[in-house]
Parts: sequence; C-alpha cells; structure tokens
Amino acid sequence: MGASLPPKEANLFKLIVKSYETKQYKKGLKAADAILKKFPSHGETLSMKGLTLNCMDRKTEAYELVRLGVKNDIKSHVCWHVFGLLYRSDREYREAIKCYRNALRIDPENLEILRDLSLLQAQMRDLSGFVETRQQLLSLKPNHRMNWIGFAVSQHLNSNASKAVEILEAFEGTLEDDYPPENEICEHTEMILYKVSLLEESGAFAKALEELHKNESKIVDKLSYKELEVSLLSKLGRPAEADKLYRVLLSMNPDNYRYYEGLQKCFGLYSESGQYSSDKIEKLSALYQSLSEKYTRSSAVKRIPLDFLQDESFKEAVAKYIKPLLTKGVPSLFSDLSSLYDHPRKPDILEQVVVEMEQSIRATGNYPGSDVKEPPSTLLWTLFFLAQHYDKRGQYDVALGKIDEAIAHTPTVIDLYSVKSRIMKHAGDLTAAAALADEARCMDLADRYINSECVKRMLQADQVTLAEKTAVLFTKEGDQINNLHDMQCMWYDLASGDSYFRQGDLGRALKRFLAVEKHYTDISEDQFDFHSYCLRKMTLRSYVDMLKFQDRLHSFPYFHKAAIRAIRCYLKLHDSPKSTAEEDGMSKMAPAQKKKMKKQKKAEERAKKEAESKSEESTAGGVSKSGKKNVKPVDPDPHGQKLIQVEEPMAEASKYLRLLQKHSPNSLETHLVSFEVNMRKQKFLLAFQAVKQMLKLDAENPDSHRSLIKFLLKTESTSAPTTEAEKLRWSVLEAERPSISQLQNKSLTEVNEEFLGRHKDSLVHRAAYAEMLCLLNPSKKTEAIKIIEDSTNKVVQTNGAQIEWKLKDCITVHKLLDTALLDSEAASRWKSRCAEYFPWSTYFEGKRSSVMPDSVYNTSRKTNENGDTPNHPMGQTELSDGQVEAFKSLSVST
Amino acid sequence: MGTGREVSVSLDGVRDKNLMQLKKLNTVLFPVRYNDKYYADAISSGEFTKLAYYSDICVGAIACRLEKKEGGPMRVYIMTLGVLAPYRGIGIGSKLLNHVLDMCSKQNTSEIFLHVQTNNEDAIKFYKKFGFEITETIQDYYINIEPRDCYVVTKSFAQPEANK
Repeated sequence: MGASLPPKEANLFKLIVKSYETKQYKKGLKAADAILKKFPSHGETLSMKGLTLNCMDRKTEAYELVRLGVKNDIKSHVCWHVFGLLYRSDREYREAIKCYRNALRIDPENLEILRDLSLLQAQMRDLSGFVETRQQLLSLKPNHRMNWIGFAVSQHLNSNASKAVEILEAFEGTLEDDYPPENEICEHTEMILYKVSLLEESGAFAKALEELHKNESKIVDKLSYKELEVSLLSKLGRPAEADKLYRVLLSMNPDNYRYYEGLQKCFGLYSESGQYSSDKIEKLSALYQSLSEKYTRSSAVKRIPLDFLQDESFKEAVAKYIKPLLTKGVPSLFSDLSSLYDHPRKPDILEQVVVEMEQSIRATGNYPGSDVKEPPSTLLWTLFFLAQHYDKRGQYDVALGKIDEAIAHTPTVIDLYSVKSRIMKHAGDLTAAAALADEARCMDLADRYINSECVKRMLQADQVTLAEKTAVLFTKEGDQINNLHDMQCMWYDLASGDSYFRQGDLGRALKRFLAVEKHYTDISEDQFDFHSYCLRKMTLRSYVDMLKFQDRLHSFPYFHKAAIRAIRCYLKLHDSPKSTAEEDGMSKMAPAQKKKMKKQKKAEERAKKEAESKSEESTAGGVSKSGKKNVKPVDPDPHGQKLIQVEEPMAEASKYLRLLQKHSPNSLETHLVSFEVNMRKQKFLLAFQAVKQMLKLDAENPDSHRSLIKFLLKTESTSAPTTEAEKLRWSVLEAERPSISQLQNKSLTEVNEEFLGRHKDSLVHRAAYAEMLCLLNPSKKTEAIKIIEDSTNKVVQTNGAQIEWKLKDCITVHKLLDTALLDSEAASRWKSRCAEYFPWSTYFEGKRSSVMPDSVYNTSRKTNENGDTPNHPMGQTELSDGQVEAFKSLSVST
Repeated sequence: MGTGREVSVSLDGVRDKNLMQLKKLNTVLFPVRYNDKYYADAISSGEFTKLAYYSDICVGAIACRLEKKEGGPMRVYIMTLGVLAPYRGIGIGSKLLNHVLDMCSKQNTSEIFLHVQTNNEDAIKFYKKFGFEITETIQDYYINIEPRDCYVVTKSFAQPEANK
C-alpha cells in the first residue's frame, strides 16, 4: 500500500490507514492532505481520504474522491477495496461484492479482502460463493481455527451437512491430544455440539450418539448434552433409555413442555392434533397421574391433562386445577385456559364448574363440598374469570354484569378495568374501551404494559393525539416519535396507521406501514455483525438458527399485516386521486364526528408546529458536530405527503406484494390483494393466478367467490383479442377454465346461484352473493337487498344466549348496503336491526353505547372519582366483632 | 379470625404513581370527595400514610397529616382509615393503625388524634382499644351528614423527658 510514494509520504499513508482504523478521522484527513499537496492525483490517498470523509458524514465528497481514486489508479486493490467498503457502509452489498471481486483480481490472496467478501456473501446468501471464498481462506491460512470453522459452516449453509462434518473431523485431526486448553473449553464444547447436531441433521443418528458419548467429558454444557442425547435416543427408536433420560431432565425442569411431549412420544402417546382414542386417554391420564405425584411443584403437569381429558374426568380435573389458582388470585388464569375454548364441549363444562363455585362461595364462603373458608378475594377472582368467560362467548351483557360486580367488590384491582375495557371493545364501543383503559392506566402510572394497552385502545378509538401523548410518557426525553421509531415499536405503528387509514389520512397511514417494513429491513441488516462475531465466539448452533430465522423473517405477522395494509393504501390512492380521498372520508362521518375530527386536526397541526420548531432547534445545535450518530437527519416528509404523491401506486404496491407472495403464500389475503393489484394493472394472467390460489386455499370463502366472478366478468366482457399478447392470454384462460370446478360450462349467474345454494344460512356468503348479483345484473338490486335482509340471526350456543352474527360482519354488510349497493334506506333499516343485536356498538349507535347522551362515557370523560355512587358502608354498621374499620374516622375539615 | 387460610398482608407507601389506588379506595369508603390538599398532605406525611395489600390487592389505607412545630414534638392527625367491606374483620385496620402508632413512638410525637361522628360507636370502641380517649366534642362539625356533631379522639404520648 502506498508503494509508489517516497518514504516520507509512504509513512504518512500508513498513518491515514491507522487513523481510520482508530477513528481519528481529523488526523487522517490532515495526513491525506499533506500527501495530496505533493501528489494531487495519487489514487490510493484520494480513496482513503474519501473513506475518511464518509465516516465524517460527507457522503457526496466521499463518493467523488473514491471514484477519482479508482480512476487514477485502476490497478490498485486498495482503491477497489475502499470502494467496496464505501458501498458496504451504505448497505449496497451487491455493488460492494463487485468491487471486492475487482480488488481480488489484482491481489487474489489478500486475506482481508477475502474475509470481507465472505461476510457479504453470507449476508446476501450467495452460498456457493461463500463456500468458495471460505475454502480459499482455509487453504491460505490452514493453521487458523476460525478458517476451518468458517469453511464448515459455509458447507452446512449450502445444504451439505455431511461435508461440514468431514471438515470438522479434518480439523480435529490437527489438534493435539490435550486440546482444548483451559480457556477454550466452552468454545470446544460448542464445536462438538455443533458437529453432533450436524450429524443429526444429516440423519446419521447412531454416529451422532457415539460422537456425543465419546466426548462426554469434554462437554461442559451438560443440559445441551442431555437434550441432544435424548433427541438422538428417540430418533434411534430406543424409548426405554429416552424415557429414563426425560425423567432426569424433568427433575431438572418440571415445567418444560417439550420434555413432556418427548416423554409421551416414548410411549407412543403423542398426536400432533391433540386427538386421542379413549384407550390412549386412559394411559395418558395414568402417566400424568404418576408424574404429578413426583413433580408436585410443576404447573405443566397439572395443566397438560386438561388438553386431553374429556367430559366427566375433564370436569373433575379442571375444577381441581382452577380452585387453588382462584384462591391465590392468578390474573392470567383465563388466558392460561383460553385454548380449551376451541373444544366443542369444554366451554360449557367450564361454565358449569365455575358458576357452581361462584354460587357456593356466595352462599357459604367455601368451594362446593369443602369446609375450608375461602379468603374474600376468591369471589373477586371467580367473578373476574366469569367475566372473561362470558366475553369469550360473546355474552357481553352477562360479562359486564360480572365485571361490574367484581369492581364493586374490590375497586382497586387494575386488571378488572383492563378486562372491562376489552369487553367493551369486543361489544363494539371503542370509546368506552379507551376510557376504561385510561382509568386502568391511571391506577399505576409506573406500569408500561397498561400504558401501552391504553395507547392501543385510544388508537382503536381514533384518538390519535391523545394516544401519542400517552405513549410518550414512557419514551425517553427528546424527539418522541422518533424514539418510538427507534424502538421498532411495531404494534404502535400498525395501530396508528390503521387509525389514520380509517380517518382517510393515507399519507400518515402509509408512513406508519412503511415504517414497519423498514424495521424488518433493519432487523435483516442487524445480522451482518454476527457473521464474523459468531465464528470468532464459536456460538455456531445459535448462529445457524439465527440465519434460518432471518430467512423467514418476512413471514412474521407484523410484516404481513403492514404489507397488506400498505398495499391497501396504494389501492385507495390508485382508485381515488389524492384530493378526493380525504373528503371522502369526511363525508361518511356523522356531523358530530366531523367536528371532532376537525378539532383534532387543528390540535394536531398545532402540536406539529411545536414539534417542528423544537426539532429544528435541536438539529440546529447538532449539525455542527462531526460525530456520525449524533446527528439525526430530519425527516423531510413527516406526514407522508410525498408518499401519496407517488406516480404509480400499483408499481409501489407490487414491491410489497412480491415479498408477501414469497413469504406468506398460504394467506388468503396475500392473493386477494394480489388480485386487486393485478386487475388494476391489467395483468390478467397474474390476476388469474391469484384467483386460482384463493380457490385452492379456500374455495368457499366469500372473497374467493367475489374474485372469481369479478375476474371472469371482466375478461369475458373485454372485446375479442386483437394483439398477439391478448390472443395468447385468451388461449391460456381457455385452457385453464376447465380446471376450475365451479365453472363447468355454467354461466356466471349460475355459478353465483350455486354459491348461494351451498351457503344459504351464512350472512357473509349471502352478502357476497348479493353483491355479485348486482354486479352481474344491476337491475336485480332490489332482489339482492332482499337476500341480505332476509338473513336470519340464530342463537348458536347451548346456553342460549350467544348469537351467530359477528359485529365485524354486520358492519361490512352495512357498508355494502350503504356504499356499494347505494340504498341508504336499506342501510338504515340494517343499522337499526343491528343496534338491537349489538346494543354497545357505537357504529350502529346501540342504545347502551357511548354515543348515547346518557352514557357515562359520552362527552368529556369524567374520572370515576365523583361519578356513580358506590355502595357506601356508611349505613352498614352491623359488625362481626365490634370492628368497623371503614368508618373509623371522617374528616371533612381538610 | 374469619379465614381458614393464611394470607399475607403487607403495607406500601403512597406515591404519585399509585395515588389513584388511594383515590379509588376513598371513593368507595367515604361519602366525601377529598381535595388535592388531602392527597398532598398524605404523600408528604411519608411513613404515616400507608396502603394495605391483601395478597397483592390494595384493600385499605390509613392517611395522616403531620402537624409539626418548630423544635417541639409533632401532632399526628388521622385523616382517614378504612378497609374495603369484604376484607374487614381480619385485622387489616389494626395493622394499619398499629403501624402509625409505631411510627409515632419512634418519632417525637406529642399526640395522635382524629374526628369521629358522635354516633359511630364501633369506631369509638375500636380506637379505645388502642388507648385513644374522647377529649372534646365539636358541635356542627359536619355539614351534610347527621348527626352533625363529632368527638375529638386522642391518644397522648408521654414525652421522652418525662419518661426518665
């Protein structure tokens, strides 16, 4: 490096490199300028100066200098390497790889560049390139442990586990007998365990077990040793030994569900679906009986049998399970048991059991059949459980009765208000739900969880400004919204985006949804540092796990939700050009709501101005600093105004659509938005593909049906094909048509009728039929509306209280009547009908909802402090043993 | 006592962050809405204002105001003492009062006192058990409730000097 320079300048050049590595950028810059004074066109110096400036946040200059450097000295590997580093710092990995390759062409054995290249290849999952580079590194420096390990890992990632094992064995061959030294036993343990898991992955179970046993003394991670051993024993079909070992593991941790699962497998008593024959249930029951005698402190051993036990034995077990937890007061009891509600009979049994307990405690103070007096809080927790139970079953009036009684019993328990808030949300009164969540929040201002829950409820009730203020209570000082962004707080982004979307503010909504996408990109970036770190630290099993996790990162629910919603924003932008979108949102609202919105908007604008002036101040102070991280670039588009001015919304949408199709192919929604996007892009074959996918996933889904009809109607109505492309498309569709079982030479009207025939009793299906009927034949609108209005709502629960229709579906139907079928009379008839079914629904203006003027949650909320009059103990002076403690003293004087 | 199971009762101080707990209790326990000064006094009395937790549920509270004199012993005024109805009769009120009496004896306190409505015999009986006595009657102390008179109930502490 710096070879072409005279000695003095060569030394200065070394100084630049050293200053760069030690982050003394000013010093490096000085040295570079000194060289450039004498040799103004020295390529390597120009490059290094550029790289240094890059670290000082002078990007444009940096790129200019580095490019100039390469131009002046195209044969220098230093210049190319620096160019690569520059690209890497901007996450332009593909460009960076190209630069490294150029550098290696000049200096093929440069270890540093090879190492840098291998990291990028791992990041970009260029696996065959990764293998190649790691092999080269190993052959250049075979005495380095990390190079052996790196080569093995690269083979493993490239799906060649057995090759990886061979490499590790070759490496072990180079080791002395007394290896490892004291300070490397942990690393060595990891390597052995990695090797064993590689053998396991490649199916060589016997060899893996042998290897594991051989190295027992060298493995310090005893738990992993046992877990691997037991997994291998099971796979080798040696259940007796596995059984024994599982019991050892259980005595170490009797609450690990995986151990129980493994143990069940040893006895052939495991089924993925959780369905067992009565014979097996008996055996399982006996097994858990004996286990529970042994591991008395385990809660898993008590909980698991509730999943497989049935009827009478379930009833007995669940009562036994619940009692001590109600006595102790475990607020999470209901969520612990909520999975049992998927079972057809268990919810009824639970109801029976807990209602019996409630009655017995009320009457005698004891559980049924017991003579032990329960503490006063047992009744409270029983009511608390029942409230959640009835909420789950959709009996909101009963649920609210129970929770109100619990609150009257002990008004200081925060969870009661949270649950009441949730019931209100389910019942359709989001305003009341937000108010209750806020009440809960006020009772413990130091609890981040209830604060967050409150924020979420406020967003659901479209109280965005209030929500932001509340969220900020738990962020650090300074730029608050950015702080939430830095914390990658995705539930917040989603809930806030949803609220803006409902309010018709597509810019802000998009901003939030795209922020989530950004978080995922960041998470994916975050793995970069681990490529070198994990190889050095030898945490190989977790490293490979992490890479596998990263590979399916975009299939996680938050990403899925954000991408779907972003695409829906783009669809809206496409359908209604910007100016009308907002008014649209406004016109649908009731005048009172409109006023509220306007007020809110004004307040927001004020807050915005404040925030802007504040952030300007803070950045004005920060700009002069040269430190890279200290200066946060000001977001040039904080409200997403630029986002919604996008030229081709459908092109933007397609970006996210591709990710969804790759990572969430089993979601119906993915294909639904794909259908919508491709229809608008006139890409009929892609739209057809989407329809086919939907039919494959769920042919009877109303959206699948709608898409099918819409698609065929559109393609059949287009005129005869003229261009070659159209002809091709036509012929593909003709060829595919017979593969769709719904069609079979029937007309679309017939297809629609048959759909109705199959789903006569379902509201959502009838609505889909009606919508399509209108689409196919606009003159049949009256008939379509009649089909919807003739739907009957039935009672579905055996306990006689729950109705079949869901609030969400009824709202969708209302919107359909109002905006698609354009019959405001039918819509208002529907509304008053639904107000009966959902008395708490604010949407339908039910008579118990907060839109009613007499509701406690209406208008400006009051805290409960002086609200309703609770039962005052003033009058009750009969006392058990002469102690009245409530009213010892009264003081009004203060 | 009333229960067949042992349940732990613990005391905790009142701070800004959990003030609402005391407010919730007072809403249910007393027919009076207390003003901000009440809560400010309660917080600044420190150890003399406590919430009682019955297995992690807040079920009662004692709130005092400290009347300090320069250089002299202080007087402690019990503003409120109350326990939620379902949790009475198991010694929680006694525990709260004992705690405050304990604090009084540790700090230089001349007396502890409170107002009780004249017909509240149970309360008077309760306080007498702890060595309180009726020291005064105030006419028309209450405005909105009958009877309007109240007693001043006081427990005096022997001064350290006199103890020697």
